[in-house]
This record gives sequence, structure tokens and C-alpha cells, in this order.
Amino acid sequence: MTTSLTSIAHNVAHRALTYLHDHRDADVFPDDIPIEPEDSDTVYKPIAEIGMAAALVLREGVGGTAQLHAARELIDFTWHRLRQGDLLYERQVRNCLLTDPIEVYCHFIHGGHHHERFERLAVHNAAVRSAPEVYPNRRLAVANAYRTCGIPTDDDWGSLLRATWLGATPPPWAIDWDTAYSVTHTVFHVTDWGGRPHDLPPDIADYLGNWLPVWTDVWSEVGDWDLVAELLVVDACLPEPRFDLDVWTRIASVQHSDGLMPRDGAPVDDDRVQRFWDHHHSTTVAAIAGTLAVSRLLGNGR
Amino acid sequence: MNGERLQVSLTDAAAEVAARVLGAVRGAEDIGLADYVDTSADLKTALGAVRLIGADIFAPHLLLDRPVHHADAAVITRSFAAFPPAGQAGTRRQQVVAWRDWATGRLLACAADPASAEPGLAPTAAPETATALLDGAKTWQEWSANAAQLSPLALPGLGGPIAAAVFEGARPLARGVTRALLRRDFVTAARLIRWMALSSSSGVGQPLDPALLVERVRLYGGTGSRLSLDLAIARRLLRSEPA
Repeated sequence: MTTSLTSIAHNVAHRALTYLHDHRDADVFPDDIPIEPEDSDTVYKPIAEIGMAAALVLREGVGGTAQLHAARELIDFTWHRLRQGDLLYERQVRNCLLTDPIEVYCHFIHGGHHHERFERLAVHNAAVRSAPEVYPNRRLAVANAYRTCGIPTDDDWGSLLRATWLGATPPPWAIDWDTAYSVTHTVFHVTDWGGRPHDLPPDIADYLGNWLPVWTDVWSEVGDWDLVAELLVVDACLPEPRFDLDVWTRIASVQHSDGLMPRDGAPVDDDRVQRFWDHHHSTTVAAIAGTLAVSRLLGNGR
Repeated sequence: MNGERLQVSLTDAAAEVAARVLGAVRGAEDIGLADYVDTSADLKTALGAVRLIGADIFAPHLLLDRPVHHADAAVITRSFAAFPPAGQAGTRRQQVVAWRDWATGRLLACAADPASAEPGLAPTAAPETATALLDGAKTWQEWSANAAQLSPLALPGLGGPIAAAVFEGARPLARGVTRALLRRDFVTAARLIRWMALSSSSGVGQPLDPALLVERVRLYGGTGSRLSLDLAIARRLLRSEPA
């Protein structure tokens, strides 16, 4: 079972990464990213997320030569789109309380990319301790970003975790779609994307062990593959991942031959650029889910 | 009468029988089962409904110590005559039906002669099928689907291998309830919550709070007399409703 699951997860990750790699061109990304985009979700966030996926592939190092090569080129490409960090620096200088620059920046360290002036801003910001009010799971993202960059903060991880929906361990049937995403991100940041699975307190790990299979089942049934892929990342971040072969088989079966992972069960557009922008997020998450699952299956028990 | 019409009228009749049992569980005087069947325009459908509701008819007796009237017991005996229990239970569905018949037969025998612990009627269920339906090797989805269909056996004092197996499955039971609620399948949720209430009242620890679940289904859209009966039984088991 382990062998076939490793093979399925590896293929999902490899195909997803190949898809992202195949779309790093001017047709898909025709314009420079403005320092203050009207909607940061349109290009800035996707570039950051693709860079992060590539960074995790490089961090885990379980991908094989071709995959590592693709990850290397992807992280360099996305860093280039961020103007070698100048974009992050400019955003931060203009808006001192923004947290997205450090949240984006921290992953590029795994690719060997640094921006000294930005890091000086980040060290200063950490010392000032003026964090904007954000969702509790987003607050964890900021804490993890500083931790990844090695910048000391006085964050109390226990309190930050307990302020989230997951930290309160409510009845698992009283969840909705948005909150399910909050749960996934709480786990991503506390465990640093599966790098520190044992940082999850035992009661939270038990809670997820009990209810993650139900949430995965329910959202698989309606074909919400973006959320299912996120939940598979959560599984790979647990102290004892479940590695559900059935769910992995189902999500692998909906992945397109070119590696695109559809976000849901709706028809996928034929236009190359449109389908990328419709489905880059679920494909990025699939690359991360497969990478982390393979890493944990190969015994990276931390 | 064609099959489809028979099914609709049987569903309606079962809802009526369930409503009568529900009234009794909530504290009304009697189920009035014999009265219902004897005044029914369609005797066969009425008896079919009695067979369908089965062991639940004994809920007021088991939960509130209400007497089982001879006339009502006789109606249940007639329902078995009209719709005899299936023979050898082969399929999963047949096994579930066999266990539901076992519960009805056993409770009927006890009501007819409280000193007797043995069922006086033909319906029997092979003990090994309890394992087949609810063994720990099943996926939690299959396990909870079977448990939901066996919910008429979730009655205090009935006992038997099905209840024992459900008591061993607190986790698949709680997962099944969670799944049903998230899918807004309130009928399945109520059936599983009833098992959870029985387990809890028998001292078996549960990962979820059954009283909160009863309220959730009641307030968020659980309708129909059979669903309401499952919830009322669960509430009685949890002693959260004044007698």
C-alpha cells in the first residue's frame, strides 16, 4: 500500500509541478506586477504561491532530478517576477504594517534568494511589534514567516494557536467551507508546512486524526478538489499522517494529463491561459500535497 | 395498486404509526396501534407500516414504562403473519432486516410474557451477521451506514450483539454523525444520534456531545415523524427532557 501511495503522490506532485513549469511564459504572465495592485489575488498572490510550492519541493528534496530542476527554474522565475525581492521591499516601505511581504519572502530563502534591504525592514518591524489585526490563522502565517527567516519575535505560539477556530476544537460538524480553509492554514503555519509536525499539541493532532477523514470525504463527494488537496496537505503535516489511498486515488484520477488539477467538478476551459488562471491554485496545492506526502512516506518523520 | 403507489402509501402509513409512537414517547396516553389498524381503509398497508416501524413501537414501554396493550401486541403478531420474516439472510439489506425483525420479535415476546427472555416468534438473526455488519475492519462510512439502518435496535434493555458492536464503535459512529450533518442528511444523523444517546446512557464515552447534536438536528431542519421519533427517543435516553 505504501509503495503504491508513494507512487501516486509522487506522480500528482510531478505532473502538477510540470504544469506550473510549462506555464512560466509571457502569454500567461504578460505584465509586470505593480507595487500596489488593485487586486493582489490576480497575479501577486499566485506568483508567491507558485514560488512557495517550488521552495517546498527544494526544501524536501525528494523529487528526483527532473522535478528538482523544474522547481529550481520555477523559484528563479517567480523571484524574477518579484523583481528579485524589490517588489516586496517597495511594498513594505510604502506600507509598514503589511505582512504579505514577509509571508512571501520567507519561502524564497529555501531557494537561496535573499534581499538584504528587505530583511533589515523585517528585523525592524519585528522589533516594533506593531502587527495589524488579522484573522488568527493569518497571524500564525506572520509568526511562521518570521520564524522561517530566523528573525526573533515574542510570539506566544500556544496563545496564537488557541485563538484560531481549530485551537478551540469545536464540534467538527459545525464547520463550513471558509472555516475549513482556516483550519488548513492553521496547520500549515504551526507545523511550518509539515516541517515541524510535532509542534501540533496532542489534543489538536487527535482532533484532526478523528475528523480530517470526514471533512475529506464530504468535500471529495462534491468534487471540491482545491479544498481536498489542502486537506491532503494537512494530513501530511500531522505527527501521524493517515495517507488515505482511496482519496489519493480519487484526486489523482481527476488530474488532467498535462498536470492541471481542477479546482472543482465544473468543466475546464480549453484556452491555455484561461485554464491556467482558473486552476493554478489547486494545481499548486496538489504539487505541495504530493511533495509533502512523499517526503513523509519516505520517512522524514522529523 | 401499482408498486409505486403502494410505496407512497406505505411511507405515509409508516409516518402515521411513527407519529403515534412519537406522541406516546412525548407523554400521550397510548399509541392506539390496534385502533389505527382496525380503522384503516387499507389493512395490508397498515400492517406493513407496523412491520416497518417494528421495535420502535415498544419505545414508550421501554423508556416510560408504559404498558403494552394486548390488542397492540396482537397487531404486531398479525403484521408478522401478513409479512413473514425473510428466511436465510444473505445480502447486507436482508441482514439488516433480519436484525430489525429480531428486535421486534424479542420485545414482543418479552411484552407478552415478561418472564420470558426468549423470542416467541420465528424471526431470528444469525449472531455472526452482527459482526459482518459492524466489524472494526469496515470503513467508517460503511459501518455508520449500517448502524443507521439498525437504529430501531437502539432501545434500552434490548441488548444483543448489535448494540454491543455499536458500543465498540464510538469513533465511526461520531464520524458518521458528522458526515451526515455536513451533508444535511438529517434522517441518517438522527438515527446515529439515537445510537450515540443509547451508548452514552449506557456509560460508553462519546467523542461528541449527543445532547448538542439532538438540538442541532431539531433546530436546523430535521422534519418528519420518523426522524422526530428518533430524536425524541434520543432525548429520553439522555434524560434531557422532563418526563
